[in-house]
Amino acid sequence: MSDIKALLAQFDEISGNPRKMLGEYLANGEKVIGCFPVYTPQPLVTAAGLVPIGLWGGQVNPQVSGKYSPIFTCSILHSCLEYGMSGAYQGLSAALMPILCDTFRGTSAAWRAGVKDIPLIVFIHPQNRKDPGALDYMIEEYKSVKTALEKIAGKEITNRALANALTLYNKRNAAMREFCALANEHLDLITPVARHHVMKAVTFLKPEKAVEMVGELNKALKDQPVCKWTGKKVILTGITAEPDDLLVSFTENKVAVVGDDLAQESRQYRTDYPSANSALESLALQWLEIRGCSLAHDDNNTTRGKMLVELAERTGADGVVLCMMRFCDIEEYDQPYVIKMLQEAGLLAFSVDIDQSTTDSGQARTKIQAFAEN
Amino acid sequence: MSETTPMKKPKRPLPKSRVMTNELMDSVYAAAFDAEAKGEPVGWSTSIFPQELCETFGVPILYPENNAAGVAARHDSPRFIAQSEGELGYSNDICSYARLSIGMAHMIATDPNYERPALAMPRPTFLLCATNSCFELLKWYECLSRELNIPIFLQDCLYNYYEEEPASHKVKYARSQLEHNIKRMEEFFGKKFDWDKFLEIQKISNENSRLYDEIVLMNDRDPAPMNGFDLFNYMAPMVVARGKKETTAILLQLKKEIEENIAKGVSTFGSTPQDYRVDWEGIACWPNLGYNLKTMKKYGINCVTNGYVGAWSLKYTPGNLDEMGSQYMQSSTNVNSTLTTMGRRADCASHFQCDGMLCHVNRSCKFMTYHMFVGREIVEEKAKIPVASFDGDQADPTIFNEAQFETRVQSLVDIMKQNKEAKR
Repeated sequence: MSDIKALLAQFDEISGNPRKMLGEYLANGEKVIGCFPVYTPQPLVTAAGLVPIGLWGGQVNPQVSGKYSPIFTCSILHSCLEYGMSGAYQGLSAALMPILCDTFRGTSAAWRAGVKDIPLIVFIHPQNRKDPGALDYMIEEYKSVKTALEKIAGKEITNRALANALTLYNKRNAAMREFCALANEHLDLITPVARHHVMKAVTFLKPEKAVEMVGELNKALKDQPVCKWTGKKVILTGITAEPDDLLVSFTENKVAVVGDDLAQESRQYRTDYPSANSALESLALQWLEIRGCSLAHDDNNTTRGKMLVELAERTGADGVVLCMMRFCDIEEYDQPYVIKMLQEAGLLAFSVDIDQSTTDSGQARTKIQAFAEN
Repeated sequence: MSETTPMKKPKRPLPKSRVMTNELMDSVYAAAFDAEAKGEPVGWSTSIFPQELCETFGVPILYPENNAAGVAARHDSPRFIAQSEGELGYSNDICSYARLSIGMAHMIATDPNYERPALAMPRPTFLLCATNSCFELLKWYECLSRELNIPIFLQDCLYNYYEEEPASHKVKYARSQLEHNIKRMEEFFGKKFDWDKFLEIQKISNENSRLYDEIVLMNDRDPAPMNGFDLFNYMAPMVVARGKKETTAILLQLKKEIEENIAKGVSTFGSTPQDYRVDWEGIACWPNLGYNLKTMKKYGINCVTNGYVGAWSLKYTPGNLDEMGSQYMQSSTNVNSTLTTMGRRADCASHFQCDGMLCHVNRSCKFMTYHMFVGREIVEEKAKIPVASFDGDQADPTIFNEAQFETRVQSLVDIMKQNKEAKR
């Protein structure tokens, strides 16, 4: 038990201090690449001998980014730009940015104007994922990212190095999925906050370190007796579920998080790099295989709703909470159908606002309390 | 009528080009309703989808963005928007065109007796979506696809982050999608694609684009022969019927009318002196277009040019699918980087000898707003003109504020006046 607490404390520390992690990497003489949400080809970064680190913004009231960023910019990209402009990301050799929505288009322009010391490596995923040309395009697009990273690293990324990195990331994904499964057997130990900190911390860790730390945690969890949870259970869906204050209110109301479909959490870890003719093809194929994500167009337009219903059935969840990132139009378009589909499946489903510019989660807390009492 | 009631100013008869435009629009809508009545395919399309494909198949297409603009200009948007935000549960943060059309689609799908707007649309059997105008379009069309249970033909148009022509792998992807969409359409419509007809449609489309650009440029004269806002009216045939010969006839007629204005030394701006030439940036504030125009006339402002209206001028070599795909990947403003877009706008403002730029911060158009926020410095530095902005929306009337608009116009006029005096 003490092992678990100590391990969880490490994840708490890492998830709450990405700047400290960046500082440590830099002090070690390593070059670090910032990775914007959500799908960046991190194995290329690792294969180049560079360190990928997730950029998830943070709870901050923007002071300088308003010069280039409209008030209705989604919370997460607003805070990322704020950190970029105010120097919090100083030391990054570059930042990888996928263009997954209009706010990314805008933020790429704002970044160029306002953050002169961190070059952007921009790339674009194909949304017409079933088109016969999508795979070739994605491979070529990743080649341009590869070239940019090789320039920073001062070395070539070989097919072997990339293949090794893909294997490593698949191991990391497996460890994270195992953690999610084990967490559900130990809901007394893995509170919503603890679960989130593990998931988030991994985005700041080198993949080998993540495999090691999460593996250790998983092993310790397996040694513990299974907990029979008597409170309610929920699944979280959306971009992020922050701040901690929001998650604490689940615990206070005896509600456990038994699964998620968050861009910051399980969406990062649920799709592996498949076997393919080359490492680059495998990297590209992963994008084509992603399912049920608001940021990846799917001809089957109810996949996300179906996946959430299935996840709720599998985990015995009583409800689903849509964590609605403020001004995230991508999620806003999905919101009505997802909520409706879940409710039609007999689940309690509701939305809470996620806003990084304020620490006040009062409205969300009230909704969670009402859910717990229902 | 009481003695004190002022006489209403008689409306000026519409120029022939506008009458022709209205007739064309009526015929396009009628063809779509006719197809619906016969149980034939009818499409709804984003405004810069490669229209050449369905024009070749002879399948009628209507354009929700164009329709939403028309509904909003007739002050009929609130009830459709309320439907989306209310019963359907959409956030008021999403694009108002989307809210309007999703609300309308829901009414069409669920209530055969719904109160039709003046510009009613038939129920579509498929959707055409290109992501060049913005990314939100894709999410919007996903909603329509769910609401109406119909497929989407997608032309994914990649954002041009760099200030250069799309790289060859992007062009290849664009071409692949064109070819794949043609194949899918052949199956869906049960018709073979006529490549000879396609070539003809491409030629017509290019000729219309060329003519349209020529017309836009005719307003660079001082005084301008056209009220710049007139261009908003002639966008409709370019959006809805760019591949039709009727559009060529309209544009030739319009060109003739402008040439006559130039010869006579008159302007559709009227007799009001054109004290200031301004570049209007962004989509029209459709619910408030009348007030915008009236206010600007009051200050002697003619918005002689704007970047938005040129979004449908796509020029490529007919028969060349690579070029065609690449062109769709570069239009409109929102698929290009801010440096490209606002750099061009600055050049355009200089060419049109603009005294200032007025930016419509359209609450529905997120990336365009970024262009304005980030691009303001580019325009001020490159074109050396003042830039003012105001808050509004393309279809949601709750955003625009008359007092704010006039105040911003006044402040722009103050700076333009000072600049003019300093030049004397």
